[in-house]
Amino acid sequence: MNSDVKPTETLDVRGEVCPYPDVKTQKKVKKMKSGEILEVLLDYPLSAERMPRSIEKMGHEILKTEKTGTGEWRILIKIK
Amino acid sequence: MTDASLMLAGLVIGIIFGFVLQRGRFCMNSAFRDIILMKEYTLLKAVAMAIVVQMIGFHIMATMGYIQLSPKTLYWGAMIVGGFIFGIGMVLAAGCASGTTYRVGEGMMGSFVALLGFMIGGLVTKGGALKDLTSYLQPTEGALKAITTDNAGPYVGNANLTLANIFGLNPWILVVIIAVVILAVLVWKRGSEETKAEGTLYEKIFKTGWNWWITGIIVGIIGIIAFYTFQNYALGISGGWFGFLDALLTGKLPRLGSGMLNWFTFLVIGVVIGAAVAAVIAGEFKFRAPDAKRLLQQFVGGVLMGIGAVIGTACNIGHILSGVPQLALSSILGGIFIVLGCWVAAYIMFMRG
Repeated sequence: MNSDVKPTETLDVRGEVCPYPDVKTQKKVKKMKSGEILEVLLDYPLSAERMPRSIEKMGHEILKTEKTGTGEWRILIKIK
Repeated sequence: MTDASLMLAGLVIGIIFGFVLQRGRFCMNSAFRDIILMKEYTLLKAVAMAIVVQMIGFHIMATMGYIQLSPKTLYWGAMIVGGFIFGIGMVLAAGCASGTTYRVGEGMMGSFVALLGFMIGGLVTKGGALKDLTSYLQPTEGALKAITTDNAGPYVGNANLTLANIFGLNPWILVVIIAVVILAVLVWKRGSEETKAEGTLYEKIFKTGWNWWITGIIVGIIGIIAFYTFQNYALGISGGWFGFLDALLTGKLPRLGSGMLNWFTFLVIGVVIGAAVAAVIAGEFKFRAPDAKRLLQQFVGGVLMGIGAVIGTACNIGHILSGVPQLALSSILGGIFIVLGCWVAAYIMFMRG
């Protein structure tokens, strides 16, 4: 998992079902400070598509969405 | 159609349906829940598009004499109670009947557990310990009995109420008005939430999730083909799974001569196969499971969906996807309470505090 940015924290929601990956990520994002980077690891396809949209709507920046393996994704979020 | 070809047709349509459900992430639990939870409307737009396509398609086929509309019986108490229980259940199960079924094909074991609960809850309510509740809410006499009409109007093959025949209107008047309104809203609200699809056509079809309008149109077309093929009704999920477990338990295997069981059971098995094929090609198939607490939650949700689907006479597919386009009052009422149950459960589980 090569990364150009070093995440402040990592949230592993692999295995979680709809909509917990999104809900847990949103909760985590709200607790973090401006400028910090959250790395989210997930394996639920719908959340991998929906999460970047909903997080951007919250005003945060999506640095990266990448497929890291079969049915697994990694999303990097920069807190506003 | 012969029974064998009907079975095969059910399987083939199921495989295509499952493929599309997986590619489009077509789940009504997400569609309705995300309205209040995330202000996300992408899947809702897909559902609305599918309803419009089918509403027009069903009425064209009925006008040309290829099918007769078959709105479900309006047991108003059963639609309210069953729909509400189903709506709560699908939030706990993390997927509606179709969402749970296609996710089994993606390798999600939580949805597999929910599906087991769904089949058990369904059979328990149909002919088991809770069957008295079903007959109480679907009685032949009294205040809760079925409300029917003596004048079902054109294209309708039974005595059940629709939004058209209750007012003595030609269904086409409503079909045109509803279609224009929904399409206008969809065009007005298009785009802003679309998936950014890049890459070749192959990648757009097999690798990335589909745009909502493509999913909606194709789901709608599948529903039209299903109605034309099966004749009695369009797509449904719950009947197929209940029939499947029933056949396993009683030994009365789906066989030639019982077209209903054949068609719906082969359809749902096809959905799992089609979703698995789509997930494997997209590199999204993975055996995965949540923790024990979540598995139990999904099982309970599945049981509630089974209870609700039997009491309310259909799941989200039978009511919202197949019944609402026929303008069936039963399905409109059942659908409203499925959505209300979903919202109440989502609020309690995710939005308090």
